[in-house]
Amino acid sequence: MTMMMPKGQKRKLSIEEEASDYRAPTWESQQQFLLTVSLNKYQFSQQLREPSLRRSVLIANTLRQISLQMSMVPSVNVEVSEPPGIASSALTASIAAAAKRHSAVTVDSCSALATCPMVSLNYSPNSTEKTNYSSESNFHISIEDDEDWGSMSTDTDSSLSAVISSILAALDSTIDGNPQPAPRIPLRPLENMSKPYEGSVALVNHGLRDPGDCREQQEDGSMEVMRSSYLGDFTVEDLFQDIDTSLVDIDMGVIGHRSTEGGHTAGDDLFMYLPPFSPHSPFSPHSITPTSQNAQPALIGQLA
Amino acid sequence: MGEDTDSTPALNHHGFLPDHNYVTEADIISTVEFNHTGELLATGDKGGRVVIFQREPESKTEPFSQGEYNVYSTFQSHEPEFDYLKSLEIEEKINKIRWLPQQNAAHFLLSTNDKTIKLWKVSERDKRPEGYNLKDEEGRIKDISTVTSLQVPVLKPMDLMVEVTPRRVFANAHTYHINSISVNSDYETYMSADDLRINLWHLDITDRSFNIVDIKPANMEDLTEVITAAEFHPHHCNLFVYSSSKGTLRLCDMREAALCDKHSKLFEEPEDPSARSFFSEIISSVSDVKFSHSGRYLLTRDYLTAKVWDLNMESKPLETYQVHDYLRSKLCSLYENDCIFDKFECAWNGSDSVIMTGAYNNFFRMFDRNTKRDVTLEASRESSKPRAVLKPRRVCAAGGKRRKDDISVDSLDFTKKILHTAWHPNENIIAIAATNNLYIFQDKLNSEMH
Repeated sequence: MTMMMPKGQKRKLSIEEEASDYRAPTWESQQQFLLTVSLNKYQFSQQLREPSLRRSVLIANTLRQISLQMSMVPSVNVEVSEPPGIASSALTASIAAAAKRHSAVTVDSCSALATCPMVSLNYSPNSTEKTNYSSESNFHISIEDDEDWGSMSTDTDSSLSAVISSILAALDSTIDGNPQPAPRIPLRPLENMSKPYEGSVALVNHGLRDPGDCREQQEDGSMEVMRSSYLGDFTVEDLFQDIDTSLVDIDMGVIGHRSTEGGHTAGDDLFMYLPPFSPHSPFSPHSITPTSQNAQPALIGQLA
Repeated sequence: MGEDTDSTPALNHHGFLPDHNYVTEADIISTVEFNHTGELLATGDKGGRVVIFQREPESKTEPFSQGEYNVYSTFQSHEPEFDYLKSLEIEEKINKIRWLPQQNAAHFLLSTNDKTIKLWKVSERDKRPEGYNLKDEEGRIKDISTVTSLQVPVLKPMDLMVEVTPRRVFANAHTYHINSISVNSDYETYMSADDLRINLWHLDITDRSFNIVDIKPANMEDLTEVITAAEFHPHHCNLFVYSSSKGTLRLCDMREAALCDKHSKLFEEPEDPSARSFFSEIISSVSDVKFSHSGRYLLTRDYLTAKVWDLNMESKPLETYQVHDYLRSKLCSLYENDCIFDKFECAWNGSDSVIMTGAYNNFFRMFDRNTKRDVTLEASRESSKPRAVLKPRRVCAAGGKRRKDDISVDSLDFTKKILHTAWHPNENIIAIAATNNLYIFQDKLNSEMH
């Protein structure tokens, strides 16, 4: 269906629904595909002038459904159970991990979706980290210093459910007078990954609106939510092998925060921003600049 | 039924260059509505303009020009606004137009964008007074000393002038986007529905409205369903229906409670478990709901079907019509390119025997409820020369047996969608909005409703 081909986006999977049997590989791959597409859609809708609530709700429901389905599929690998209390820190684990590796990870139960505490997503006002929003540098992520690194690469469902919850929470903030689309959630610093990170760091996409909007977001102090660009075919290793933390330090200097190198020091706050990854633009560390945030993944044809 | 449909010339809405495939976005028609007699047809577009067409009276001397619609009036209904609190633009696109029943020489209509509803008065002026005592013909004040006698001004005919004036502005009552308005049969009140709330207004009172439905959850994270359309019963002023994104219809009685969150009747078809997919919910979302003229039935449109419901049977629809079932295997692609979120409208004919709805590739479909026959027609410049008879079209599945002139599913143009259609209240005349073009088709052979 040539009309349907999204411009500039490589189609990874077959389009048509072939198998209704959830054990079939095509069903799983379709599920992955749907997941990434849904997230992309949601992200895009948050950038529109005024997102259609009906569309957002339908996409969110689809995401929820996908996550439920994924949680019911039996896995191959190690089990992961994550206490709900850590859900907030699990947000980084990422959609991309879920999309790529859902079959390898088991999830405790789909009750994670129901029990995922919304409150934990709240940006703690007492936290030492503060996000400073300025028109030049829109890439501040705060890190909780009590994160569980071990769970980072393996939690999927609870992270996914946390993401979905945060998306729905963002609906609230978007609709109820908050001019901003979803605010962000903390990310883990890159250089603390001691092993190849098979999950991926969620890329936070902020500041797509006018700089003027950033000020309002700061004043809101609203919840942060992850808005990710899925990484597509690239693994995190590919992504970060060129990272030169000295560049990050430079940027940190701009922001005015101290960066750490080689190992996470408890109590240190590290701010970092990764521009949205686009399958078309090779990731380069020096593109951590405000201008890079304009590199958006090519969007599927959006009809008026 | 529809096979002998005649076509009047396609009415070019605004600024369409015939030689180029160029469409100004502001010209995209966003709503079409006949008035209660069918004499007037109003269209609204994305640029906030309303164009009213009037049917020419039938003339014995020129039989071919009888019943054609010509532009009667054009006005700017809504302007783009900026909500400073939310830093968001408010689109000027006209979402819905509804005519009020005519009670005097003037016509009234309600038009709405996402946030504000306006009542417009459309009146004609074909006479003007002449012979004032204190003013001369150009309106200048006369010198009193030149006035020697008194005269009574007389009304003299003038060129017909159509005046459109805003009479009421109903604003600031909706947090979310208004998707429907509906005038009540009491001709005093009307309702406006947005994604989460429905408000009841009195036509004369603009600073107050009553909230009669509110489905906003206390915690927005729990939001899973929105209101997609709403309409008053054509005869019972206490009844109205609203549809949801989950495919349910709720009939509410305003006499039962001030807040009609609790429905009187819930119309929902149980899901077929064998057909369940990720898209089941999205395609079940009702995009339009219309009472039949008789008030006995409801017509709903979801993504792939149109359904007729009996008000007395909540468990399942009376009839289900497949509009474009060949898209069922393409839902994933349609989700990806957002077509799955398209909201198609539907319409009854005057006698409630035929229903009509739009589809892709500028196709629209009509279903005869009695004979169970259906037809697919195309609204396009090529196929709609004046006086031409529309040829039925057929869509064949990819790889299936293909007749000449059949269109394959894969060749459908999904940018050409017919979302808005309207049927004359008494005659077999239909108005089809295809992007920025308005098509009016008449069934000359079967002018009377069966």
